[in-house]
Amino acid sequence: MTAAPPLARETPSTASATSAAQVSLVDLLDRLLGAGVVISGDVVISMAGVDLVQVRLNALVSSVRADMADPRQSLRRPDDA
Amino acid sequence: MGESGRYMYAVTRGVEPAALGEVGLDGGPLEVVEEDGLAAVVSSVDLAEYGEDGLRRHLEDLEWLERVARAHDSVVQAVSRLGPVAPLRLATICLDEDGVRARLREWGTELRSALDRVADRVEWSVKVYMPGSVSRTVSVPDAEPARPADARRDRGLGTDYLRRKRTASDARRTAEEHGARVAAEIHEELARRSVAARVLAAQDPRLTGHEGTMTLNGAYLVAAADADAFAEHVEQLAGGYTEVRVESHGPWPPYSFATLEQP
Repeated sequence: MTAAPPLARETPSTASATSAAQVSLVDLLDRLLGAGVVISGDVVISMAGVDLVQVRLNALVSSVRADMADPRQSLRRPDDA
Repeated sequence: MGESGRYMYAVTRGVEPAALGEVGLDGGPLEVVEEDGLAAVVSSVDLAEYGEDGLRRHLEDLEWLERVARAHDSVVQAVSRLGPVAPLRLATICLDEDGVRARLREWGTELRSALDRVADRVEWSVKVYMPGSVSRTVSVPDAEPARPADARRDRGLGTDYLRRKRTASDARRTAEEHGARVAAEIHEELARRSVAARVLAAQDPRLTGHEGTMTLNGAYLVAAADADAFAEHVEQLAGGYTEVRVESHGPWPPYSFATLEQP
């Protein structure tokens, strides 16, 4: 064997996947949090007897991104007892 | 397990749960809730974890977020292999089946047009990177560089320093403008070749680890039958620009094109 199959990073211009493509996590979050079927930019959660409760995901994503920038904090759990 | 809710992954026009060959989050079996010719693919989740408080806590936990995002994506991919798919945003949860039906009724018109828009189509991601640090991206309109007209006139103290500084800033501006122009050219060409196109926000290198500056994060909706031709075209186009790096990935479910219109 003389050459390993090139990694996507090494041949970026030809990095098109051929079969079942694995979406990178960042690409996936771009789409699952930023696009997708959604009413008003917020996640809509229907709770018992209560109208729609909205979780403001954009703020959460900002904090996720800030966490990701600092690996020491990336595994931090906000509510560890 | 406490009270359970219904996690919605995607909406399609009709599918047998068994045909999906996937399970939902935490191993919960996938089920299909139908209403008015629309079919939501759902599974039961524990509201202690996926209710409002649980989500608030967990969405900041990267491991949790990745696990849920991957599971969500697996189901969306499975649905997309069987028919048109409108993926739902991560963590769209209803309390019960009636809640799911209510959402399908409420979003019915938009869901139908989203499904029409993406049927037999796939999404490609194309990103363009410039070497070095460039602050502008394709989303910023081009502007003519402001060139100092009298760069060589003064010969006083500090002029050399100022001139060097000016030259460096000119060079940077030129590189930025060139980067933005190349990204815009590539985007326009690919938009012409696709059914629909969107420019997503450039990704933060701290998240992706990429080198250089992402000047285009484009999403392109193409007919599934044309996907190979599109990929070839991207490759050819990329070959024409030696100064940028082009990455393309696909085919993906049409995540970027299933967004509901605002009422």
